[in-house]
Amino acid sequence: MDWGWILFKTLVFPGLTFLLLVIFATFYLERKLVADMHGRTGPYYVGPYGLLQTVADIFKILQKEVIIHREADKLLFLVVPAVAFFMVALVAAFIPYSETLWIVSTPYDLVISLALLTSLPAIFLFAGWVSKSKYPFIGGIRVINQLISGEIPLWLAGLSVALWYGTFNYVEIVQKFDLIGFLVNLVGFVIFLVAILIVADRPPFDIPEAEQEIVYGFLTEYTGVGYLLLAGAKFLEIFVLAAMTVTLFLGGFKGPFLPGWVWFLIKIFTVYYLAFAIRASTPRIRLDQLIKFTWNILVPLALLNIVFILVIKAL
Amino acid sequence: MYKGAQIITEPIGKEGDLMVLNWGVQHPASGPMRIKVWLDGETIVKVENDPGYVTRNMEKMLEYRTWENAVVNVERICFIDDLGTILNWALAIEKLAEVEVPKNVEYFRVILAEVGRIVSHLIGVGGMFGALGVATPMMWVLSLREFYLDFLEHYSGYRISTAAIVPGGVRFEPTKEDMELLKKAIKETEKRWPEYKEVFKDNPTLVERYKGVGIIPKELVYKLGLRGPVARASGVAYDYRKTYPYSSYEDFNFNVVVKEEGDAYARFLVVLEEIEESVKIIKQAMEGMPEGDKWKVRVPKKIKAGETFSAVEWARGGIEYFVVSDGGTEPYRVKISAPSFMNIWALEYIAPGHKLADLATIFASLYICHGDLDR
Repeated sequence: MDWGWILFKTLVFPGLTFLLLVIFATFYLERKLVADMHGRTGPYYVGPYGLLQTVADIFKILQKEVIIHREADKLLFLVVPAVAFFMVALVAAFIPYSETLWIVSTPYDLVISLALLTSLPAIFLFAGWVSKSKYPFIGGIRVINQLISGEIPLWLAGLSVALWYGTFNYVEIVQKFDLIGFLVNLVGFVIFLVAILIVADRPPFDIPEAEQEIVYGFLTEYTGVGYLLLAGAKFLEIFVLAAMTVTLFLGGFKGPFLPGWVWFLIKIFTVYYLAFAIRASTPRIRLDQLIKFTWNILVPLALLNIVFILVIKAL
Repeated sequence: MYKGAQIITEPIGKEGDLMVLNWGVQHPASGPMRIKVWLDGETIVKVENDPGYVTRNMEKMLEYRTWENAVVNVERICFIDDLGTILNWALAIEKLAEVEVPKNVEYFRVILAEVGRIVSHLIGVGGMFGALGVATPMMWVLSLREFYLDFLEHYSGYRISTAAIVPGGVRFEPTKEDMELLKKAIKETEKRWPEYKEVFKDNPTLVERYKGVGIIPKELVYKLGLRGPVARASGVAYDYRKTYPYSSYEDFNFNVVVKEEGDAYARFLVVLEEIEESVKIIKQAMEGMPEGDKWKVRVPKKIKAGETFSAVEWARGGIEYFVVSDGGTEPYRVKISAPSFMNIWALEYIAPGHKLADLATIFASLYICHGDLDR
């Protein structure tokens, strides 16, 4: 075993440094693409094409004083953002960027990723709870609402892929990917896309962070490093979920001519674009409407999708 | 939901039963006012308005301004549509001084007032989307608003707070370039409007969030004296431009937009469709502009003692001034009755029973301007 290579993968690419870059890139891309849909320019003055605007903003946030609410649980308040970031970064370790470029690969990749993602809302609830403030508390409770409505379609759609390919391992799933697999899993793809928007609190399902209603949800009381870690965890969550979508439904690193990781990033950009376009065009829905939507439409559809895949597989 | 015209006055629940949420003063959607919300989970039990954080004592200040100088105070009642408030001031002073302005001035004032209405309504439409966390419509309407602001800037030198109308006339003679800019703005509006309407009006998520929310029945409109788009969305066809025409509004052919539903979506539609009517009025006024080169008539420095009442239909509803003169160079007393301050009290009646998420949409649909809420 080449320890140097493993260390490089963990710390540089596709590990920690790359993930930090991903946060920068997601932030920048979101601003630029949404600005384009608004008919604006977006970041422009700092650095070429405004690339350094995000860097400037992040360093500005880092300089902020860490303010802890008088009544807040100090230890938990400080620990929760780090835990959230760590959990999302763990999921990122399973993503295969090419046949060999991954940090961890086990026979149970998919299940572990989904389990880690499902335990995230509990962390965010904690973030709201330990803030001992009203708006974060409501935001925390709303995260649980997202959990009830989003995670089940996510699991059902994700596992239907494993059902079709007969494996939980990401690399194997990508290797077995072909046109028939893509077509069979098309319904699952749509369900998964909607579910990742719910799980990652993206508009129109950004109910726990609804600015016009509850300020910034569980992030309200956080400043400085804590805020950056929590917000970074949210951005990483989008990346991780987009990466899972690409791996499960769009053939991951597969593609002609270009190296695997380039194809991977191109496909992720497509998913990003879709998420940002939805953000720029769709108003937020209410939380009772979300539950109605998921339990009346999304979950039955996901179950039918599983039945459909079983039938096709039996044929 | 609205259960009879009654506010809950007795104390509700034991201590600790309900969460009391201060929705404002520092809140992204509240503006500079506090709304005290009693919450049972996510359901609103009771709402209490608490405006007054940016009070400027407008009425008292007016007593220390000369008749003409007061224009710059009056226009700051709400900067978004400043032209309606100055128009009302000019009309009040002219009534008091018994001055008649020429027809061409009246027509040009109508143009200015309607430009103000369009500018305000565009922001209103964007703001109602903004309450749902999507900024795209706001950016679109702001880019359209720029064309009107260009016209105002070229005419008066300022984009907002223009002081374009003065007692006795308008500040400057409108030039050919001014009218060209206005024509350009109208043309751009008509070009973009079908697309805007398609995107805004039939937006399924917006309809889902706004329809059936915050219903104001007709009785409540009469009880609280609600005005403007809020009243018209509840089926009360009250518009000063039609009921008590001023400044030659009787010459123009336009409809008063009235909806029967009374919900937030109806209020949104009223604001949206009034923009079309305003465009119609501006086009008629530009075509039928009477000949005349006198753009300002003399108003005496001292106005003889007396009192007068004047009202115009402003963007947010009817705005009314009661002005008293004691024969001096400044008003003896001014009383302003503005629509936002009337409309905000409907919130206490219609918000209970809704979810917390609906508070933002109901509040946005009441179409409040904080400047005129806390004069």
